[in-house]
Amino acid sequence: MSEKKMVYLQPIPVRIWHWVNAFGIITLILTGAQIRFPEKIAILGSYKTAIEVHNFAGLAVALSFAFWFFYYKMVKNTLDKLYIPNEQDIKHGLVRQLLYYCFWYFIGKPSPFHATPDEKFNPMQKSAYLAVMFVLVPLVGLTGILLMNVTPLRVLILASGGLKVIVAVHFLLACSLLAFLCTHVYLATLGATPLAYFKPMIFGWEEVEDHHEEHHEEKATTPGYRPVRALADYKGLH
Amino acid sequence: MKLLNIQRIFWILTSLLLVSGAFVCAFGQDGGSGYSFGDSADKNAACLSCHGNAQKVAATSLIDTRQFTHTTHAQIGCASCHGVNPKHPDGIKTPRANCGECHLEVNQEYAGSIHASKTDCAGCHNPHKVKTLTEISGPEMNRMCSGCHEAFEMVSKHGLWLPQADLHIRMLPCITCHTGSKSYFINMYIVRGKDGSRFGKPEVAGYDELKGIASGGSILSLIDSNGDKYVSLTELRNFNTNPDHKQLRLQGMMTPETVTHKFEILDSRRNCTFCHASGPAAMQTSFIALPESDGTFTRVAVEKGAVLDALYGTPDFYMMGSTKNETLNYLGLAIICGGLVLPVGHGSIRFLTRKNRKGKEHQS
Repeated sequence: MSEKKMVYLQPIPVRIWHWVNAFGIITLILTGAQIRFPEKIAILGSYKTAIEVHNFAGLAVALSFAFWFFYYKMVKNTLDKLYIPNEQDIKHGLVRQLLYYCFWYFIGKPSPFHATPDEKFNPMQKSAYLAVMFVLVPLVGLTGILLMNVTPLRVLILASGGLKVIVAVHFLLACSLLAFLCTHVYLATLGATPLAYFKPMIFGWEEVEDHHEEHHEEKATTPGYRPVRALADYKGLH
Repeated sequence: MKLLNIQRIFWILTSLLLVSGAFVCAFGQDGGSGYSFGDSADKNAACLSCHGNAQKVAATSLIDTRQFTHTTHAQIGCASCHGVNPKHPDGIKTPRANCGECHLEVNQEYAGSIHASKTDCAGCHNPHKVKTLTEISGPEMNRMCSGCHEAFEMVSKHGLWLPQADLHIRMLPCITCHTGSKSYFINMYIVRGKDGSRFGKPEVAGYDELKGIASGGSILSLIDSNGDKYVSLTELRNFNTNPDHKQLRLQGMMTPETVTHKFEILDSRRNCTFCHASGPAAMQTSFIALPESDGTFTRVAVEKGAVLDALYGTPDFYMMGSTKNETLNYLGLAIICGGLVLPVGHGSIRFLTRKNRKGKEHQS
């Protein structure tokens, strides 16, 4: 048996942060491409405009990152729980989620993970977001701040290996962010419908079904398939 | 007896001639002032005996003989510009030089410029130290501008429209943007951190210092390892990475090949891609300016080609849009392609297996 439930998954502050981040990073990628390849790409017309928009978007994303950190760490105090994989995630969750994406999804099995306000991310998401939000974005931001202030921060730049090292790190991390963006957007289409995972990030609510009983049946018919957790175990259902 | 008298008269006349000749040589053509302005190699010596000595003349009249000697003005001689006044220095001043007598075209061009009403030639150029564009290091070019245009004020003014104005003002000669030139080259020079510190403000390394590092060899030998007085890109890269002189680095300035004396605000320079785009011809021609003992610099040609790639080997040099490392570009492309593996690969299998999920999508 299953019944539809509405879960308030993404509060307004998170949605604002997410979309500022999304549009900011897309702007940074486009203007960054023009800055690096001015003879081939001229999306924003003049080079100077590209630099100014890039700097502005960079500051917006940096501020948005600071807001995200403050919100989850200080206000909600759920940063560690949401983003750092726990023992179960590492031992079983990661493999199950990977098997789901690589195999079970194609034979029509439902996802072993269902998001709740307290456990929004599956183990693979947690690992990926951990790398993106705790390594990629801070490093891209820091190298960007150094590149925006070459003269005042010259000593820091030299201590970090010099301008070319900073540029190389900034460029490669930006490429990694673009790679992540492609994967992120694609995986967001793997919901019940292609837009199912987009809706909560726009309206806040996600429509989910309780698979409690069905999972017991699945366990018997699909060797190795086991849901990570049942929706009925979670709080926050509406 | 008669023959003896004739001989005596001849010797007397010859002696008189020699004595008067010696007198003229020693005390001047007119025999009055005691100074020689002849065409001999030491024609400036008499003037410099006083004007090269801080004990004898005021600071405003003092000439740095070491720097003056190599100038074109020294070759034509003091008298060419200042005339000859037999009564100098006894309270009589020599006339001031009129630069336009020789530099007529420059004078006419300058007369129409914004600077003409502000100062004359000597306001920017010290005629007793004047150097050609090929004998001067990059940072030195801006010194004549900074006499009037204070750096902080210039950074503020340019900062109204120019991103990273402080960096541009520090790393470019003013004349690159403010005088028209058809061609440009990269003028490289050796710098080291102030007080030998790696993090010190970069300063152009001097002759004595580099000579010491070269251990008795020529300064050029620090870079030109095969001694052909021509620097290949390989030699340039080796210099950049040589652990024996870690404190030395190369910096480059984009410099006009020819300069005008008409101050201009060139619209093309407001287009950043004038410099910040890879492949312009100006980026392919470069020289290294090496210091000489007399305070001038000598240009040594560098192999034409992607010189900025070689400069890229130095930790301080990067020019946005121009210095791109191809390996990094391919690595970045590989990373982006890696991000497309999942959408393309998984998406394809997803499409092929769509029947398996038919009717189940809304249950998942």
